[in-house]
Amino acid sequence: MDKDFASEFINKLVSNAVEYGFDEAEACFMTNASMEINILNAEVSSYENSTVQGVGFRGKKNGQMGGSFTTEFDDSAIDFMLSTAMENCEVLDDEDEEFIYCDPENSHLESIQLSGNYNKNTYEKFSEVGLKLEKDILNLSPLIKAVDYLSVSCGTGPSVSVNSKGLYTYKDSDFISIFAEARAEKDGVVKTGGHYWFGKDIDAFDEKPFLETLRKKVLGKFGGSSVESGEYKVIFDSEAFVSLLQTFMGAFSSYSMQKGLSLLAGKEGEVIASDIFTLREEPMYEKALIKFPFDSEGVLTKSKALIDNGVFVKALYNLKTANKAGTKSTGNGFKGAYSSPVGISATNLVVTPGEKDFDALCEWVQDGIYLTELNGLHAGVNKISGDFSLFCEGYLIKDGKIARPVEQITVSDNFYDVLKKIIATGSDTISVPEGKGEYFCPSVVVSKMNISGDTGEEGEE
Amino acid sequence: MISETSASRIIEAAMSGNADFAEIFEEQKKSSSVGLLNGRTIRASSGIDYGVGIRLMAGTNVVYVYSCDKSEEALIKLAKEAASALKGGKSSDIKNIEALSKSSPSVLNIDPLSVSKKTNIEFLKEASDYALSYDELITQVAASYATSNRIIHILNSEGFNKEESQTRIRFSIETVATKGNEKQTGRIAPGTMRGYEYVNEYPVIDKTRECCETAIRMINAGYAPSGKMPVVIGNGFGGVIFHEACGHALESTAVGIKASCFTDKLGQQIASSVVSARDNARIEGEWGSYYTDDTGRESSDLLLIENGICKNYLVDDLGARRMGCKPTGCGRRQDFTYAPTSRMSNTYICNGTDNPADIIADTEYGLYCTKMGGGSVDTATGEFNFASEEAFMIRNGKIAEPVRGATLIGKGQEILMNIDRVGNDLELAAGMCGSVSGGVPVTVGQPTIRVSSILVGGREA
Repeated sequence: MDKDFASEFINKLVSNAVEYGFDEAEACFMTNASMEINILNAEVSSYENSTVQGVGFRGKKNGQMGGSFTTEFDDSAIDFMLSTAMENCEVLDDEDEEFIYCDPENSHLESIQLSGNYNKNTYEKFSEVGLKLEKDILNLSPLIKAVDYLSVSCGTGPSVSVNSKGLYTYKDSDFISIFAEARAEKDGVVKTGGHYWFGKDIDAFDEKPFLETLRKKVLGKFGGSSVESGEYKVIFDSEAFVSLLQTFMGAFSSYSMQKGLSLLAGKEGEVIASDIFTLREEPMYEKALIKFPFDSEGVLTKSKALIDNGVFVKALYNLKTANKAGTKSTGNGFKGAYSSPVGISATNLVVTPGEKDFDALCEWVQDGIYLTELNGLHAGVNKISGDFSLFCEGYLIKDGKIARPVEQITVSDNFYDVLKKIIATGSDTISVPEGKGEYFCPSVVVSKMNISGDTGEEGEE
Repeated sequence: MISETSASRIIEAAMSGNADFAEIFEEQKKSSSVGLLNGRTIRASSGIDYGVGIRLMAGTNVVYVYSCDKSEEALIKLAKEAASALKGGKSSDIKNIEALSKSSPSVLNIDPLSVSKKTNIEFLKEASDYALSYDELITQVAASYATSNRIIHILNSEGFNKEESQTRIRFSIETVATKGNEKQTGRIAPGTMRGYEYVNEYPVIDKTRECCETAIRMINAGYAPSGKMPVVIGNGFGGVIFHEACGHALESTAVGIKASCFTDKLGQQIASSVVSARDNARIEGEWGSYYTDDTGRESSDLLLIENGICKNYLVDDLGARRMGCKPTGCGRRQDFTYAPTSRMSNTYICNGTDNPADIIADTEYGLYCTKMGGGSVDTATGEFNFASEEAFMIRNGKIAEPVRGATLIGKGQEILMNIDRVGNDLELAAGMCGSVSGGVPVTVGQPTIRVSSILVGGREA
């Protein structure tokens, strides 16, 4: 379905909604077109090429907002969406009001971030890149036995939204991503590791640094052993720190705070982290692949600090939570799919870097653990209290240098304590795609953390 | 539904190139859900999703395309595009489409979609009100209910013409206990393929009380110790460890490309001799069941491990081509946007002979995990980690103080060999399993078991 048909359909839906008896209404049409190839054993083992389109509707009646969705686009679909959304309004008794919004000065919002390179994303091109990459990964070392997973994919898709207050939004963007996971074996010990690349132009993919990082991520794990349980100074690799931060980002949402699910509630303006730590949300960050000029409610986004030199500045709000708190939306009201309600999400996040590069950080730390992977973040954490106990991998730092890999260890601590124990950030910022956008994060040093290892003895207390 | 004549034309278009197999997967899903927070209904949604996936194979190469557009013209165009992207293979005969055969593992006295949202809300409200008045430490109760009817229709070049209707209900009640800055949760989330009579018969007050007790017990608990120790894992959801650490590694997705730690182990001992395990998709009314898989094949009751010996792998049609064996009817996918892969259904460790009380009594010192949370595993190395949601210390053969924050860490192969006691109290529990073909409903299960030694990651050294 093209953009004009989509606009016409959702306009009809919204105008019928008002006739149907809704006080206010909004409809959005989302498309997701994607292509992916997978490489296995020097062949394109699978190819996917698809389009999914759906419409999400929300209508307000007597202060309650009911929702419905469908992938059908005919008159019976309109009837279905209106009648079920009305039924949903009738059973809701939410104390907090949700809003249909339009800022008269910004009633027509467009964000078109198409690269112009999308037509290069052909089956032939992706196959060529993928097959070469698989071959070159296998050539890295005789220890590498297989590339168990290799995908080259791209996605694009316009989304258009209209409401009964006169808002019109349109956005479209595209991206390409490459992911590979290699398996190596040495003396019967198996190790795996993966790496990714993402961008907007397949010709900009530089295989050399990709291979070098993947090589380190897989082959660097051999020869590891555990460490004695105890407290260690820790350098978090950027990706590992981002995975931890992302796990607890929900605590920065005003929704979590208002529902008593965030320990940051009521702490705006207070010190919650070490004074060297600054975390900013930059929706329009220059280096970001995708920029977010406005949110799904039609509110303009803005650059802001979440944590400024240790001080928790402000939570993330959408229109509903802002109204409850007596403040303004921060432009963080996003919906994930046509079928989802408006939630709260951060866009692009930036951890302010320090001055030391990675080697200088190791030298400065002298003895400790360099953590590269935290596993089981969806299970081994208490998202409310901040407690976590996670299986992790990394390296032992001895006399200011990486000494050997470590494995079969767990790191146990509390997220809020970790924020306070940050003593340095590196100058080695990388971009890590996570959540809605990207994190721009360097290595992060924490003064001490509880590491439990396997000393080989049956534990008594 | 796509007519047989349309399907023939689409399959013909799909087989016009190199494909030796073509399949149409048509899916319609109606869903309805409500969510309560502290007794107030804050979310109500309804929807219909429809889509078609077309899968082509040539040897072990796969092309998968999908769309929401059900017109014959659009699907023929899609099938032709898919055919032109498929490499290798040689064309094959197309068999005549058989007469439609229908199946359903759901047992419905009362169709859940015929029950009003008001009734669903009353059920959840009873639980919420009870929990909120249970104890002043319980500060929050979240409750949700969701039901769906999924009709899948599979037609392929081998003449298959199968339809299956799957109606499912899942609800959850989560209680939060607060003490100062600390919060702990208790949770139940049963799922079924029975009708609304399941909800009517559910002992909701007793189960909500258990949730409250868990949350309060955990908020008052100290941290678990760390180190290697014997661990007794309670029945029901404790089976998640077997699911993650063993089940995934027996899927042809991993075994078929030799990326599993259990590759080439048929007939060999992979677990201690007290362990037998099954994957049974044919339990009527059970949450993880299906009679016809998402590739149109009849599902099975598969013996995975018998007295420690590996008996069968979970093999889908692509896996069968890779491994040169027969598929076991385990091809599953979240929805039409995913190509199918080998997946589990109702997977459990079979009953043993021990009385659970004796297992505890015979354990001098160790950890007793009564409620497990989620976890993750690397199927190549077998490394896994799991969080416990409720645990107790075992001292001198008796259940002692509750402890929180325990993570179990290890390798699947080692844990299976270290199971030394298996109880006679098998229970199944509903869950969602995420993998390459998306999230599918599964049950996990086991009787009470003891593992002679697991590394426990806790916060107390």
